[in-house]
Amino acid sequence: MAEKPIQGEKRVFMTGNEVVAWAALAADVDIMYGYPITPQNEIMHYWTRLAPKYDRKFLQTEDEISAGFTTCGGVLSGKRAFTATAGPGNTLMQEAMTMAEMMRIPLVQVVQQRGGPSTATVIYSQQEVTMTCYGGNGEGLRIVYSTGSHQELFDYTIKAFNIAWKYRFPTCVLGDGYQAKMRESLYIYDPAIKGIEMTNTYPFVGSDGMPGIDREPNHLRNTYNTEEELYEVVKNLVTEYEKISPEVVEYQTFDTDDAEIVIIAHGIVTRAAQAAVNSLREQGIKAGHFRPVTLRPFAGEQLRAIAKKAKKIIVAESAQGQLRKLVTDAIYGESVPLENYFKPGQGITAEELVDYVKGL
Amino acid sequence: MAKTVKIALAGEGGQGVQSVAGIMVEAAYEEGREALYIPNFGVEQRGGVSVAYCQISDEKIGSPKFVYADLVIALSDRAVLRTKQYVNQDTIFIYDTSIEGIENDLPTNAKKILAIPALEIAKKELHPRVFNVIIMGVAIAATDFVDMKAIQTALEKKLGYKFEQDPKLRDLNFKALARGAELVKDLL
Repeated sequence: MAEKPIQGEKRVFMTGNEVVAWAALAADVDIMYGYPITPQNEIMHYWTRLAPKYDRKFLQTEDEISAGFTTCGGVLSGKRAFTATAGPGNTLMQEAMTMAEMMRIPLVQVVQQRGGPSTATVIYSQQEVTMTCYGGNGEGLRIVYSTGSHQELFDYTIKAFNIAWKYRFPTCVLGDGYQAKMRESLYIYDPAIKGIEMTNTYPFVGSDGMPGIDREPNHLRNTYNTEEELYEVVKNLVTEYEKISPEVVEYQTFDTDDAEIVIIAHGIVTRAAQAAVNSLREQGIKAGHFRPVTLRPFAGEQLRAIAKKAKKIIVAESAQGQLRKLVTDAIYGESVPLENYFKPGQGITAEELVDYVKGL
Repeated sequence: MAKTVKIALAGEGGQGVQSVAGIMVEAAYEEGREALYIPNFGVEQRGGVSVAYCQISDEKIGSPKFVYADLVIALSDRAVLRTKQYVNQDTIFIYDTSIEGIENDLPTNAKKILAIPALEIAKKELHPRVFNVIIMGVAIAATDFVDMKAIQTALEKKLGYKFEQDPKLRDLNFKALARGAELVKDLL
Protein backbone atom coordinates (compact mmCIF):
# COMPACT_ATOMS: atom_id res chain seq x y z
CA MET A 1 0.00 0.00 0.00
CA ALA A 2 1.17 3.50 -0.77
CA GLU A 3 2.27 5.54 2.22
CA LYS A 4 -0.05 7.99 3.92
CA PRO A 5 -0.49 11.17 1.90
CA ILE A 6 -0.08 13.37 4.97
CA GLN A 7 2.37 12.37 7.70
CA GLY A 8 1.39 13.83 11.06
CA GLU A 9 0.28 17.42 10.88
CA LYS A 10 1.65 20.40 9.00
CA ARG A 11 0.89 24.06 8.47
CA VAL A 12 0.20 24.96 4.84
CA PHE A 13 -0.89 27.93 2.77
CA MET A 14 -3.12 26.97 -0.16
CA THR A 15 -6.42 27.51 -1.97
CA GLY A 16 -9.64 25.93 -0.72
CA ASN A 17 -9.93 23.67 -3.74
CA GLU A 18 -6.50 22.26 -2.99
CA VAL A 19 -7.58 21.82 0.64
CA VAL A 20 -10.57 19.69 -0.43
CA ALA A 21 -8.38 17.44 -2.58
CA TRP A 22 -5.94 16.92 0.31
CA ALA A 23 -8.80 16.26 2.73
CA ALA A 24 -10.27 13.62 0.42
CA LEU A 25 -6.86 11.98 0.15
CA ALA A 26 -6.41 12.05 3.92
CA ALA A 27 -9.92 10.58 4.34
CA ASP A 28 -8.89 7.55 2.31
CA VAL A 29 -11.23 8.32 -0.55
CA ASP A 30 -11.06 5.70 -3.30
CA ILE A 31 -12.45 7.64 -6.22
CA MET A 32 -13.69 11.02 -7.36
CA TYR A 33 -16.18 11.47 -10.17
CA GLY A 34 -16.47 14.91 -11.68
CA TYR A 35 -17.21 17.32 -14.44
CA PRO A 36 -15.48 20.70 -14.60
CA ILE A 37 -17.21 23.90 -13.57
CA THR A 38 -15.73 27.06 -12.07
CA PRO A 39 -15.02 27.79 -9.24
CA GLN A 40 -14.44 24.17 -8.16
CA ASN A 41 -12.29 22.96 -11.09
CA GLU A 42 -9.07 22.79 -9.13
CA ILE A 43 -10.51 20.17 -6.77
CA MET A 44 -10.42 17.86 -9.78
CA HIS A 45 -7.10 19.21 -10.96
CA TYR A 46 -5.37 18.64 -7.64
CA TRP A 47 -7.09 15.29 -7.18
CA THR A 48 -5.97 14.03 -10.57
CA ARG A 49 -2.43 15.17 -9.82
CA LEU A 50 -2.32 13.60 -6.37
CA ALA A 51 -4.56 10.53 -6.69
CA PRO A 52 -2.36 8.30 -8.89
CA LYS A 53 0.50 8.60 -6.40
CA TYR A 54 -1.69 6.96 -3.78
CA ASP A 55 -3.55 4.43 -5.92
CA ARG A 56 -6.74 6.46 -6.00
CA LYS A 57 -8.97 6.85 -9.03
CA PHE A 58 -10.72 9.56 -10.98
CA LEU A 59 -13.41 9.45 -13.63
CA GLN A 60 -14.36 12.48 -15.68
CA THR A 61 -17.94 12.06 -16.80
CA GLU A 62 -19.84 13.70 -19.65
CA ASP A 63 -21.82 16.03 -17.39
CA GLU A 64 -22.94 16.55 -13.80
CA ILE A 65 -25.96 14.27 -14.12
CA SER A 66 -23.54 11.49 -14.86
CA ALA A 67 -21.05 12.63 -12.21
CA GLY A 68 -23.80 12.39 -9.59
CA PHE A 69 -24.99 8.95 -10.67
CA THR A 70 -21.52 7.48 -11.12
CA THR A 71 -20.75 8.63 -7.58
CA CYS A 72 -23.88 6.73 -6.47
CA GLY A 73 -22.58 3.70 -8.39
CA GLY A 74 -19.13 3.93 -6.85
CA VAL A 75 -20.65 4.00 -3.37
CA LEU A 76 -22.95 1.04 -4.16
CA SER A 77 -19.88 -0.95 -5.08
CA GLY A 78 -18.38 -0.15 -1.68
CA LYS A 79 -16.03 2.67 -2.57
CA ARG A 80 -15.57 5.84 -0.57
CA ALA A 81 -16.54 8.18 -3.39
CA PHE A 82 -17.24 11.86 -3.88
CA THR A 83 -17.95 14.50 -6.47
CA ALA A 84 -17.69 18.28 -6.54
CA THR A 85 -19.63 20.90 -8.41
CA ALA A 86 -21.12 24.40 -8.41
CA GLY A 87 -24.05 26.44 -9.72
CA PRO A 88 -25.71 24.98 -12.80
CA GLY A 89 -23.73 21.77 -12.21
CA ASN A 90 -25.30 21.45 -8.78
CA THR A 91 -28.71 21.84 -10.46
CA LEU A 92 -28.03 18.90 -12.76
CA MET A 93 -26.73 16.82 -9.88
CA GLN A 94 -29.92 17.07 -7.88
CA GLU A 95 -31.49 14.05 -9.51
CA ALA A 96 -28.66 11.84 -8.28
CA MET A 97 -28.85 13.49 -4.87
CA THR A 98 -32.51 12.49 -4.54
CA MET A 99 -31.69 8.93 -5.59
CA ALA A 100 -29.04 8.89 -2.87
CA GLU A 101 -31.71 10.11 -0.44
CA MET A 102 -34.16 7.44 -1.48
CA MET A 103 -31.67 4.56 -1.53
CA ARG A 104 -29.63 5.76 1.47
CA ILE A 105 -26.44 6.04 -0.58
CA PRO A 106 -23.68 7.71 1.46
CA LEU A 107 -22.17 9.82 -1.25
CA VAL A 108 -20.31 13.03 -0.50
CA GLN A 109 -20.83 16.13 -2.60
CA VAL A 110 -18.67 19.24 -2.32
CA VAL A 111 -20.30 22.44 -3.59
CA GLN A 112 -18.42 25.70 -4.17
CA GLN A 113 -21.28 28.15 -4.67
CA ARG A 114 -21.11 30.63 -7.53
CA GLY A 115 -23.52 33.39 -8.45
CA GLY A 116 -26.98 32.67 -9.82
CA PRO A 117 -29.55 32.36 -11.30
CA SER A 118 -28.28 30.46 -14.33
CA THR A 119 -24.68 30.97 -15.50
CA ALA A 120 -24.42 34.29 -13.63
CA THR A 121 -20.93 34.73 -12.12
CA VAL A 122 -18.18 32.19 -11.54
CA ILE A 123 -17.16 34.10 -8.44
CA TYR A 124 -19.15 33.72 -5.25
CA SER A 125 -22.56 33.53 -3.62
CA GLN A 126 -24.60 31.75 -0.99
CA GLN A 127 -27.39 31.13 -3.45
CA GLU A 128 -27.18 27.34 -3.48
CA VAL A 129 -28.46 26.89 0.05
CA THR A 130 -32.03 25.94 -0.84
CA MET A 131 -30.86 23.66 -3.64
CA THR A 132 -28.14 21.91 -1.66
CA CYS A 133 -30.50 21.39 1.29
CA TYR A 134 -33.73 20.67 -0.51
CA GLY A 135 -33.09 20.33 -4.27
CA GLY A 136 -34.81 17.76 -6.41
CA ASN A 137 -38.11 15.98 -5.93
CA GLY A 138 -37.69 14.87 -2.37
CA GLU A 139 -37.71 15.90 1.25
CA GLY A 140 -34.15 17.16 1.63
CA LEU A 141 -32.93 14.16 3.61
CA ARG A 142 -29.27 15.16 3.51
CA ILE A 143 -26.64 16.47 5.81
CA VAL A 144 -25.21 19.83 4.78
CA TYR A 145 -22.13 21.39 6.39
CA SER A 146 -21.58 25.06 5.63
CA THR A 147 -17.87 25.82 6.10
CA GLY A 148 -16.30 29.20 6.77
CA SER A 149 -12.55 28.72 6.54
CA HIS A 150 -9.91 26.52 4.99
CA GLN A 151 -9.45 24.72 8.29
CA GLU A 152 -13.14 23.85 8.31
CA LEU A 153 -13.06 22.81 4.66
CA PHE A 154 -10.39 20.30 5.61
CA ASP A 155 -12.02 19.14 8.86
CA TYR A 156 -15.54 18.85 7.47
CA THR A 157 -14.57 17.18 4.21
CA ILE A 158 -13.04 14.38 6.26
CA LYS A 159 -16.00 14.37 8.61
CA ALA A 160 -18.51 14.28 5.73
CA PHE A 161 -17.30 10.84 4.65
CA ASN A 162 -17.61 9.46 8.15
CA ILE A 163 -21.03 10.96 8.79
CA ALA A 164 -22.34 9.83 5.39
CA TRP A 165 -21.20 6.24 5.95
CA LYS A 166 -22.26 6.15 9.57
CA TYR A 167 -25.80 7.32 8.92
CA ARG A 168 -26.20 6.48 5.24
CA PHE A 169 -27.52 9.86 4.17
CA PRO A 170 -25.93 11.84 1.35
CA THR A 171 -23.67 14.49 2.84
CA CYS A 172 -22.66 17.83 1.36
CA VAL A 173 -19.84 20.21 2.15
CA LEU A 174 -21.13 23.62 1.15
CA GLY A 175 -18.33 26.07 0.41
CA ASP A 176 -18.27 28.99 -2.01
CA GLY A 177 -16.12 30.57 -4.68
CA TYR A 178 -14.22 32.68 -2.16
CA GLN A 179 -13.29 29.61 -0.17
CA ALA A 180 -12.46 27.79 -3.39
CA LYS A 181 -10.09 30.42 -4.74
CA MET A 182 -8.57 32.24 -1.82
CA ARG A 183 -5.35 31.27 -0.11
CA GLU A 184 -5.00 31.18 3.66
CA SER A 185 -3.18 29.12 6.24
CA LEU A 186 -4.43 25.94 7.87
CA TYR A 187 -3.20 22.69 9.35
CA ILE A 188 -3.61 19.54 7.33
CA TYR A 189 -3.20 16.24 9.11
CA ASP A 190 -3.49 12.51 9.05
CA PRO A 191 -6.94 11.92 10.66
CA ALA A 192 -5.48 9.06 12.73
CA ILE A 193 -3.31 11.41 14.80
CA LYS A 194 -6.48 13.25 15.89
CA GLY A 195 -8.10 9.99 16.89
CA ILE A 196 -10.37 10.11 13.84
CA GLU A 197 -11.07 6.64 12.56
CA MET A 198 -12.51 6.40 9.06
CA THR A 199 -15.85 4.57 9.03
CA ASN A 200 -15.64 1.27 7.16
CA THR A 201 -17.07 1.13 3.68
CA TYR A 202 -18.78 -1.91 2.21
CA PRO A 203 -20.56 -2.89 -1.01
CA PHE A 204 -24.34 -2.56 -1.12
CA VAL A 205 -24.70 -5.09 -3.91
CA GLY A 206 -23.21 -8.51 -4.57
CA SER A 207 -23.06 -9.52 -0.91
CA ASP A 208 -22.29 -13.15 -0.04
CA GLY A 209 -25.04 -15.65 0.72
CA MET A 210 -28.58 -16.19 -0.47
CA PRO A 211 -30.82 -13.18 0.17
CA GLY A 212 -33.76 -14.12 2.41
CA ILE A 213 -32.02 -17.29 3.62
CA ASP A 214 -28.46 -16.45 4.65
CA ARG A 215 -29.03 -12.75 5.10
CA GLU A 216 -31.53 -9.93 4.77
CA PRO A 217 -31.99 -8.84 1.17
CA ASN A 218 -30.37 -5.54 0.20
CA HIS A 219 -33.40 -3.51 -0.73
CA LEU A 220 -32.18 -0.78 -3.01
CA ARG A 221 -35.28 0.69 -4.57
CA ASN A 222 -36.23 4.08 -5.85
CA THR A 223 -39.40 2.96 -7.67
CA TYR A 224 -42.69 2.14 -6.00
CA ASN A 225 -46.07 1.07 -7.29
CA THR A 226 -48.60 2.35 -4.81
CA GLU A 227 -49.21 5.53 -2.90
CA GLU A 228 -49.41 3.62 0.37
CA GLU A 229 -46.12 1.88 -0.22
CA LEU A 230 -44.30 5.12 -1.03
CA TYR A 231 -45.92 6.92 1.89
CA GLU A 232 -44.60 4.32 4.28
CA VAL A 233 -41.10 4.41 2.79
CA VAL A 234 -40.85 8.20 2.91
CA LYS A 235 -42.26 8.34 6.43
CA ASN A 236 -39.65 5.83 7.55
CA LEU A 237 -36.88 7.81 5.87
CA VAL A 238 -38.06 11.00 7.56
CA THR A 239 -38.33 9.29 10.95
CA GLU A 240 -34.82 7.93 10.59
CA TYR A 241 -33.51 11.36 9.56
CA GLU A 242 -35.20 13.06 12.48
CA LYS A 243 -33.84 10.46 14.86
CA ILE A 244 -30.23 11.07 13.88
CA SER A 245 -30.60 14.85 13.56
CA PRO A 246 -29.79 15.73 17.19
CA GLU A 247 -26.52 13.77 16.87
CA VAL A 248 -25.59 15.46 13.63
CA VAL A 249 -26.67 19.06 14.13
CA GLU A 250 -23.89 21.60 14.71
CA TYR A 251 -23.91 25.32 15.44
CA GLN A 252 -21.82 28.02 17.10
CA THR A 253 -22.77 30.99 19.23
CA PHE A 254 -20.79 34.14 19.86
CA ASP A 255 -21.82 36.41 22.75
CA THR A 256 -25.47 35.40 22.46
CA ASP A 257 -26.09 35.01 26.22
CA ASP A 258 -27.06 38.61 26.83
CA ALA A 259 -27.39 39.71 23.20
CA GLU A 260 -30.14 42.12 22.26
CA ILE A 261 -29.21 42.08 18.59
CA VAL A 262 -28.36 38.71 17.09
CA ILE A 263 -26.79 38.36 13.64
CA ILE A 264 -27.48 35.02 11.97
CA ALA A 265 -25.05 34.09 9.23
CA HIS A 266 -23.53 30.91 7.83
CA GLY A 267 -20.53 29.88 5.77
CA ILE A 268 -17.89 32.48 5.09
CA VAL A 269 -20.19 35.32 6.24
CA THR A 270 -19.72 34.07 9.81
CA ARG A 271 -16.27 35.65 9.68
CA ALA A 272 -17.75 39.08 9.05
CA ALA A 273 -20.44 38.48 11.69
CA GLN A 274 -17.91 37.42 14.34
CA ALA A 275 -15.72 40.44 13.67
CA ALA A 276 -18.78 42.74 13.63
CA VAL A 277 -19.92 41.44 17.02
CA ASN A 278 -16.46 42.08 18.50
CA SER A 279 -16.45 45.60 17.16
CA LEU A 280 -20.04 46.31 18.28
CA ARG A 281 -19.31 44.99 21.77
CA GLU A 282 -16.29 47.31 21.99
CA GLN A 283 -18.69 50.14 21.23
CA GLY A 284 -21.04 49.03 24.00
CA ILE A 285 -23.70 47.47 21.79
CA LYS A 286 -25.02 44.12 23.01
CA ALA A 287 -24.64 42.15 19.82
CA GLY A 288 -24.30 38.40 19.35
CA HIS A 289 -23.95 35.97 16.50
CA PHE A 290 -25.60 32.62 15.82
CA ARG A 291 -24.00 30.44 13.20
CA PRO A 292 -25.58 27.23 11.94
CA VAL A 293 -22.77 24.89 10.86
CA THR A 294 -25.19 22.25 9.59
CA LEU A 295 -27.89 23.84 7.45
CA ARG A 296 -29.59 20.43 7.24
CA PRO A 297 -30.44 19.42 9.87
CA PHE A 298 -30.87 22.92 11.31
CA ALA A 299 -30.30 23.83 14.96
CA GLY A 300 -33.88 25.05 15.35
CA GLU A 301 -34.34 24.50 19.07
CA GLN A 302 -31.09 26.22 19.94
CA LEU A 303 -31.93 29.19 17.76
CA ARG A 304 -35.42 29.44 19.21
CA ALA A 305 -33.98 29.78 22.72
CA ILE A 306 -31.83 32.68 21.51
CA ALA A 307 -34.69 34.26 19.56
CA LYS A 308 -36.86 34.29 22.69
CA LYS A 309 -34.39 36.57 24.45
CA ALA A 310 -33.27 38.77 21.57
CA LYS A 311 -34.83 42.13 20.74
CA LYS A 312 -33.87 41.94 17.09
CA ILE A 313 -32.51 39.36 14.70
CA ILE A 314 -30.61 40.18 11.54
CA VAL A 315 -30.21 37.54 8.84
CA ALA A 316 -27.06 38.33 6.84
CA GLU A 317 -26.40 36.31 3.71
CA SER A 318 -25.07 36.57 0.16
CA ALA A 319 -28.46 35.48 -1.19
CA GLN A 320 -31.99 36.87 -1.23
CA GLY A 321 -33.33 35.11 1.84
CA GLN A 322 -32.38 31.46 1.44
CA LEU A 323 -30.94 31.29 4.96
CA ARG A 324 -33.87 33.34 6.20
CA LYS A 325 -36.28 30.63 5.06
CA LEU A 326 -34.43 28.12 7.25
CA VAL A 327 -34.51 30.60 10.12
CA THR A 328 -38.22 31.48 9.91
CA ASP A 329 -39.08 27.81 9.58
CA ALA A 330 -37.07 27.08 12.72
CA ILE A 331 -38.43 29.88 14.92
CA TYR A 332 -42.01 30.06 13.64
CA GLY A 333 -44.25 31.62 16.26
CA GLU A 334 -41.61 33.80 17.91
CA SER A 335 -42.34 37.51 17.92
CA VAL A 336 -38.79 38.87 17.63
CA PRO A 337 -38.53 41.24 14.65
CA LEU A 338 -36.35 40.04 11.75
CA GLU A 339 -34.24 42.34 9.63
CA ASN A 340 -32.66 41.29 6.35
CA TYR A 341 -29.15 42.03 5.18
CA PHE A 342 -29.30 40.37 1.78
CA LYS A 343 -26.54 40.71 -0.80
CA PRO A 344 -27.19 38.06 -3.44
CA GLY A 345 -23.94 37.08 -5.13
CA GLN A 346 -21.82 39.61 -3.22
CA GLY A 347 -19.49 39.34 -0.26
CA ILE A 348 -20.30 40.81 3.15
CA THR A 349 -17.71 42.52 5.37
CA ALA A 350 -17.63 43.21 9.09
CA GLU A 351 -17.55 46.97 8.51
CA GLU A 352 -20.84 47.01 6.61
CA LEU A 353 -22.55 44.83 9.23
CA VAL A 354 -21.37 47.20 11.98
CA ASP A 355 -22.71 50.20 10.07
CA TYR A 356 -25.97 48.41 9.38
CA VAL A 357 -26.54 47.46 13.02
CA LYS A 358 -25.71 50.98 14.20
CA GLY A 359 -28.11 52.42 11.65
CA LEU A 360 -31.08 50.34 12.85
CA MET B 1 -7.05 44.19 17.88
CA ALA B 2 -4.03 43.85 15.63
CA LYS B 3 -4.04 45.92 12.51
CA THR B 4 -4.72 44.11 9.27
CA VAL B 5 -2.96 45.53 6.23
CA LYS B 6 -5.28 45.57 3.22
CA ILE B 7 -3.93 45.89 -0.29
CA ALA B 8 -5.68 45.97 -3.65
CA LEU B 9 -3.47 45.56 -6.71
CA ALA B 10 -5.07 46.09 -10.10
CA GLY B 11 -3.82 46.02 -13.64
CA GLU B 12 -4.44 44.64 -17.08
CA GLY B 13 -4.37 40.87 -17.39
CA GLY B 14 -0.72 39.96 -18.00
CA GLN B 15 0.81 42.83 -16.02
CA GLY B 16 1.58 40.36 -13.29
CA VAL B 17 -0.44 41.68 -10.35
CA GLN B 18 -1.56 38.18 -9.33
CA SER B 19 2.03 36.90 -9.29
CA VAL B 20 3.09 39.87 -7.17
CA ALA B 21 0.23 39.27 -4.75
CA GLY B 22 1.06 35.57 -4.56
CA ILE B 23 4.70 36.23 -3.68
CA MET B 24 3.84 38.91 -1.11
CA VAL B 25 1.38 36.76 0.85
CA GLU B 26 3.68 33.76 0.62
CA ALA B 27 6.45 35.87 2.18
CA ALA B 28 4.13 36.97 4.99
CA TYR B 29 2.99 33.39 5.58
CA GLU B 30 6.59 32.16 5.74
CA GLU B 31 7.28 34.83 8.36
CA GLY B 32 4.57 33.28 10.52
CA ARG B 33 1.97 35.97 9.81
CA GLU B 34 -1.62 35.33 8.79
CA ALA B 35 -2.25 36.14 5.16
CA LEU B 36 -5.25 35.92 2.90
CA TYR B 37 -5.19 36.46 -0.83
CA ILE B 38 -8.04 36.23 -3.26
CA PRO B 39 -7.80 36.99 -6.95
CA ASN B 40 -10.84 38.41 -8.65
CA PHE B 41 -11.84 36.31 -11.58
CA GLY B 42 -14.50 36.50 -14.25
CA VAL B 43 -15.69 34.35 -17.12
CA GLU B 44 -13.26 35.86 -19.62
CA GLN B 45 -10.30 33.71 -20.66
CA ARG B 46 -7.95 36.66 -21.05
CA GLY B 47 -7.92 40.43 -20.88
CA GLY B 48 -9.96 42.59 -18.58
CA VAL B 49 -8.90 44.20 -15.33
CA SER B 50 -7.23 41.83 -12.92
CA VAL B 51 -7.51 42.65 -9.21
CA ALA B 52 -5.69 40.95 -6.35
CA TYR B 53 -7.01 41.43 -2.81
CA CYS B 54 -4.43 40.79 -0.08
CA GLN B 55 -4.69 41.01 3.67
CA ILE B 56 -1.88 40.46 6.14
CA SER B 57 -2.32 40.36 9.90
CA ASP B 58 -1.08 38.86 13.15
CA GLU B 59 -4.49 37.29 13.74
CA LYS B 60 -6.89 35.17 11.73
CA ILE B 61 -8.38 37.31 8.97
CA GLY B 62 -12.11 37.98 8.53
CA SER B 63 -13.89 38.39 5.20
CA PRO B 64 -11.78 37.74 2.12
CA LYS B 65 -12.75 41.04 0.54
CA PHE B 66 -12.75 44.43 2.18
CA VAL B 67 -14.50 47.75 1.86
CA TYR B 68 -11.45 50.03 1.98
CA ALA B 69 -7.80 49.30 1.37
CA ASP B 70 -4.75 50.76 3.07
CA LEU B 71 -2.98 50.66 -0.25
CA VAL B 72 -4.36 50.63 -3.78
CA ILE B 73 -2.03 50.29 -6.74
CA ALA B 74 -3.63 50.78 -10.16
CA LEU B 75 -1.60 50.06 -13.27
CA SER B 76 -3.99 50.95 -16.09
CA ASP B 77 -6.76 53.43 -16.80
CA ARG B 78 -9.46 50.83 -16.32
CA ALA B 79 -7.77 49.66 -13.13
CA VAL B 80 -8.00 53.22 -11.75
CA LEU B 81 -11.74 53.30 -12.42
CA ARG B 82 -12.24 49.85 -10.97
CA THR B 83 -10.34 50.40 -7.72
CA LYS B 84 -11.43 53.94 -6.79
CA GLN B 85 -14.19 52.35 -4.71
CA TYR B 86 -11.64 50.92 -2.25
CA VAL B 87 -10.26 54.35 -1.36
CA ASN B 88 -11.06 56.34 1.77
CA GLN B 89 -9.24 58.94 3.87
CA ASP B 90 -6.75 56.33 5.14
CA THR B 91 -5.80 54.95 1.74
CA ILE B 92 -2.58 55.51 -0.16
CA PHE B 93 -3.44 55.41 -3.85
CA ILE B 94 -0.61 54.77 -6.27
CA TYR B 95 -0.81 54.78 -10.04
CA ASP B 96 1.68 54.63 -12.85
CA THR B 97 2.59 57.90 -14.55
CA SER B 98 2.30 56.29 -17.97
CA ILE B 99 -1.48 56.04 -17.68
CA GLU B 100 -3.03 58.72 -19.83
CA GLY B 101 -6.32 60.56 -19.58
CA ILE B 102 -7.24 59.71 -16.01
CA GLU B 103 -6.51 63.07 -14.40
CA ASN B 104 -10.22 63.64 -13.76
CA ASP B 105 -10.90 60.09 -12.65
CA LEU B 106 -8.41 59.86 -9.82
CA PRO B 107 -9.90 59.49 -6.37
CA THR B 108 -10.20 62.74 -4.46
CA ASN B 109 -10.62 61.32 -0.97
CA ALA B 110 -7.35 59.44 -0.52
CA LYS B 111 -4.83 60.07 2.27
CA LYS B 112 -2.17 60.33 -0.41
CA ILE B 113 -2.13 60.00 -4.17
CA LEU B 114 1.21 59.11 -5.66
CA ALA B 115 2.22 58.84 -9.29
CA ILE B 116 5.22 56.62 -9.91
CA PRO B 117 7.14 56.09 -13.16
CA ALA B 118 7.49 52.32 -12.69
CA LEU B 119 6.86 51.39 -16.30
CA GLU B 120 9.34 53.97 -17.56
CA ILE B 121 12.02 52.82 -15.12
CA ALA B 122 11.41 49.19 -16.04
CA LYS B 123 11.86 50.01 -19.72
CA LYS B 124 14.77 52.43 -19.48
CA GLU B 125 16.80 51.35 -16.46
CA LEU B 126 16.01 47.68 -15.97
CA HIS B 127 13.87 45.42 -18.12
CA PRO B 128 10.13 45.45 -18.94
CA ARG B 129 9.76 41.97 -17.47
CA VAL B 130 10.54 43.21 -13.96
CA PHE B 131 7.86 45.88 -14.05
CA ASN B 132 5.76 43.90 -11.57
CA VAL B 133 8.73 43.39 -9.25
CA ILE B 134 9.18 47.17 -9.09
CA ILE B 135 5.49 47.33 -8.13
CA MET B 136 6.13 44.78 -5.41
CA GLY B 137 8.92 46.96 -4.02
CA VAL B 138 6.51 49.89 -4.06
CA ALA B 139 3.84 47.92 -2.21
CA ILE B 140 6.20 46.67 0.50
CA ALA B 141 7.76 50.08 1.07
CA ALA B 142 4.36 51.76 1.25
CA THR B 143 2.92 49.36 3.82
CA ASP B 144 5.93 47.82 5.59
CA PHE B 145 3.93 44.68 6.35
CA VAL B 146 6.86 42.40 5.80
CA ASP B 147 10.62 42.68 5.77
CA MET B 148 12.26 43.20 2.38
CA LYS B 149 14.50 40.22 3.22
CA ALA B 150 11.43 37.97 3.44
CA ILE B 151 10.34 39.10 0.01
CA GLN B 152 13.77 38.30 -1.38
CA THR B 153 13.50 34.83 0.12
CA ALA B 154 10.05 34.37 -1.40
CA LEU B 155 11.35 35.55 -4.79
CA GLU B 156 14.23 33.14 -4.48
CA LYS B 157 11.80 30.33 -3.73
CA LYS B 158 9.60 31.18 -6.69
CA LEU B 159 12.28 32.02 -9.26
CA GLY B 160 15.31 30.25 -7.83
CA TYR B 161 15.48 27.75 -10.68
CA LYS B 162 15.65 30.61 -13.18
CA PHE B 163 18.24 32.46 -11.10
CA GLU B 164 20.40 29.33 -11.15
CA GLN B 165 20.39 29.32 -14.93
CA ASP B 166 21.07 33.02 -15.21
CA PRO B 167 22.40 34.72 -12.05
CA LYS B 168 21.97 38.11 -13.72
CA LEU B 169 18.24 37.63 -13.34
CA ARG B 170 18.60 37.58 -9.58
CA ASP B 171 20.39 40.93 -9.62
CA LEU B 172 17.79 42.32 -11.97
CA ASN B 173 14.90 41.25 -9.75
CA PHE B 174 16.50 42.42 -6.52
CA LYS B 175 17.44 45.71 -8.15
CA ALA B 176 13.85 46.15 -9.33
CA LEU B 177 12.60 45.46 -5.84
CA ALA B 178 14.97 48.02 -4.32
CA ARG B 179 14.20 50.56 -7.02
CA GLY B 180 10.45 50.20 -6.35
CA ALA B 181 11.00 50.77 -2.65
CA GLU B 182 13.08 53.87 -3.38
CA LEU B 183 10.34 55.28 -5.55
CA VAL B 184 7.86 55.53 -2.71
CA LYS B 185 10.34 56.29 0.08
CA ASP B 186 11.06 59.52 -1.77
CA LEU B 187 7.39 60.38 -2.00
CA LEU B 188 5.96 59.32 1.36
